[in-house]
Amino acid sequence: MSVKLRKDLVVLTILMLVAGLVLGGCGQKKPEAPKEPEKTVIRFAHWRGEDKAAFDAIIKKFEAENPTIKVEQSIEGSEKHDTKILAEFQAKNGPDVFAVMPGARFANVVKGGWFLDISGEKFLEVVKPHLRLPGQDGGKQYAVPYQLVLNDPVYNKAIFEKYKLEPPKDWKGFLALCETLKKNGVTPIIFDSEIGPGQFMNPMLMNNMPSDDALVKVQKGELKLTEDWFVTTLKQFKELNDKGYFQKDVLGTKKAGAAALFAQEKGAMLAQGSYMMASNKQANPNLKQGLLAPITVSADKMKYEGIHTATFMIAVNKDSKNVEAAKKFMAFLFKPEIAAEYANATGQMLTISGVQYKTEELMEQAKWLEKKTLFQPRYMITVSEVEKAIVNSIMDVIGGMAPEKAALKAQQEVDRVIKK
Amino acid sequence: MRKYWPLSFFILPGLLMYVIFFVFPAISALGLSLTDWNGITPERNFVGLANYKEMLTNDPIFAQTFGNNIKYMLFVVFFQTLFSLIFAMMLVKNSRMNVFYRALFFLPTIIASISVAFIWIFVYDPSIGSLNTFLTKLKLDFLIQSWLGDKNIAIYSIAVVQCWAHIGQVMVIFIAGLQSIPKSLYEVARIEGATPWQTFRHVTWPLLAPSATIVVAYTTLQSFKAFDLILAMTDGGPSYATEILSLFLYHQAFNNYKFGYASATAVIFMLIVASITLLQFRILRANKVSY
Repeated sequence: MSVKLRKDLVVLTILMLVAGLVLGGCGQKKPEAPKEPEKTVIRFAHWRGEDKAAFDAIIKKFEAENPTIKVEQSIEGSEKHDTKILAEFQAKNGPDVFAVMPGARFANVVKGGWFLDISGEKFLEVVKPHLRLPGQDGGKQYAVPYQLVLNDPVYNKAIFEKYKLEPPKDWKGFLALCETLKKNGVTPIIFDSEIGPGQFMNPMLMNNMPSDDALVKVQKGELKLTEDWFVTTLKQFKELNDKGYFQKDVLGTKKAGAAALFAQEKGAMLAQGSYMMASNKQANPNLKQGLLAPITVSADKMKYEGIHTATFMIAVNKDSKNVEAAKKFMAFLFKPEIAAEYANATGQMLTISGVQYKTEELMEQAKWLEKKTLFQPRYMITVSEVEKAIVNSIMDVIGGMAPEKAALKAQQEVDRVIKK
Repeated sequence: MRKYWPLSFFILPGLLMYVIFFVFPAISALGLSLTDWNGITPERNFVGLANYKEMLTNDPIFAQTFGNNIKYMLFVVFFQTLFSLIFAMMLVKNSRMNVFYRALFFLPTIIASISVAFIWIFVYDPSIGSLNTFLTKLKLDFLIQSWLGDKNIAIYSIAVVQCWAHIGQVMVIFIAGLQSIPKSLYEVARIEGATPWQTFRHVTWPLLAPSATIVVAYTTLQSFKAFDLILAMTDGGPSYATEILSLFLYHQAFNNYKFGYASATAVIFMLIVASITLLQFRILRANKVSY
């Protein structure tokens, strides 16, 4: 092929390409499909995988009411949830709406400055003021507790009825109740080493503490664990253990194992909390359950009847690009009719007034709203090492250590931690 | 030599990955260990060696944790090596039955640690667990224990699970080592009238030294890094009786939010593992022979 012919071919090809492009450009535009309005996507991060279906149904309703907003759930286990959201907040990529636990975990998010101040929002009105307290810091409302948990032992009503037993009013009565159960071959209290000490310590401490914020004072160095009130509590734990009122090998029993024993009616009380009632019922549909707290003093000295925890606190990320949509979703969750749907689907009692509970367990828990209960003292501790030192002192006593020695060991750890 | 220098570019991708994913985090951990960073707020203050001083002189939990880790390591290294070697010697021939048993012993290795933990939590449960029930049925009640609740035995109970889960894996390394020993050496030993023990002592064991070195070093590292199994089974409890260094580090960082302190633990952790592994290499290399 000659050079000239090759050049002609190249020119011809270029011309054809240009012509094609020009002609294509002159063609009529296709009619555009009507564009869907762009949706604002918000992310709701929490740790309750078991509630996913309930939240899915609620989100569907919310999206129907708010067609421009789409809500995505992101769920992790409770420990991983904290680690994950803190890392995301630092990377300015946090969830728009998120759940947080009270106490040390709430304090961490406050420290990071990632909460949006929601003081004065109208939806707060459905939550009683004293139940909003765990989500406050420095006079500002940063998070609102959604669930209301009673950290008091669950008891088997049928066993109590069989032996004509009533929830006791004082420590003497509690010991007598345990003795009757033991004599009849029933394990009085099922206690596990996984969550048990951190739960049961609350009702055991509530009437022994010199003030409601005694554990906060311990953390500040104003009170000592070697003082009478704490040593007495440890002695009471020892008494229950030494008298055989707990099942054998408490320290080797995990949460699930303890729950299985209770569901199989091998024990009269489960030293965990109201949050176990729904799963206990699922495991044994014939189970009739109630709640009771040990009163560790004489009846005339009793200050509290039980423990409550306003938890699963919901908050909005200060750095969210969709703050209005996030607040709208939060307000939706706090509507009593929506909250009722969640409560009855998940078996969780809520902090919201006007919720109609339908299940037997929730109605039983709702009775406690009228009782005098103290916010879980363990959640008033904001330094996790202090919390662990206290919980470990109970395990040490159950493991055979003298209460005074266990209290001293715990205090030494607290001193080491808070001196910084 | 100079003409080959462009070839050094070929190591660049690997080197870059190593620097980004190993050298940089290691240096940054070293830097963080000299601060009081809480992992939440951006502020961090330089505290010099205060974290190291606190850990090594004033933290009884760190000391307990280190002790637990040594107990755990010794148990796992000894029993895992011993049993995997025994199984390897039993299953070294490539018969159909042996291949089946090898696969059976290897099976726990491919189960996720968390699943292994949950299986064994129920085996060890004092009330509904199969182990205590089994001992009762055999009228061996005196052997019944609070396997995960007794502070004195909980760490060994978990070490047993670690061995159970990894013996099959280590056995495979030993089988490869055993199969590489020339058969002629065994024939010579037989002709010379060596007893089975003498054959093992003077032929098998010395020639297995390279495999044993790998096994012991690997098992040591594995027992220092046994994190998920312990987290799921006891989370370090009761009263820190099963807390080992990796778990201590995690708790300091993600429960106590003391990232500076956790970084100092990581540095010490790295030094301990490196020193022990180096020592093992030296001892085992000294035993190495060739015929």
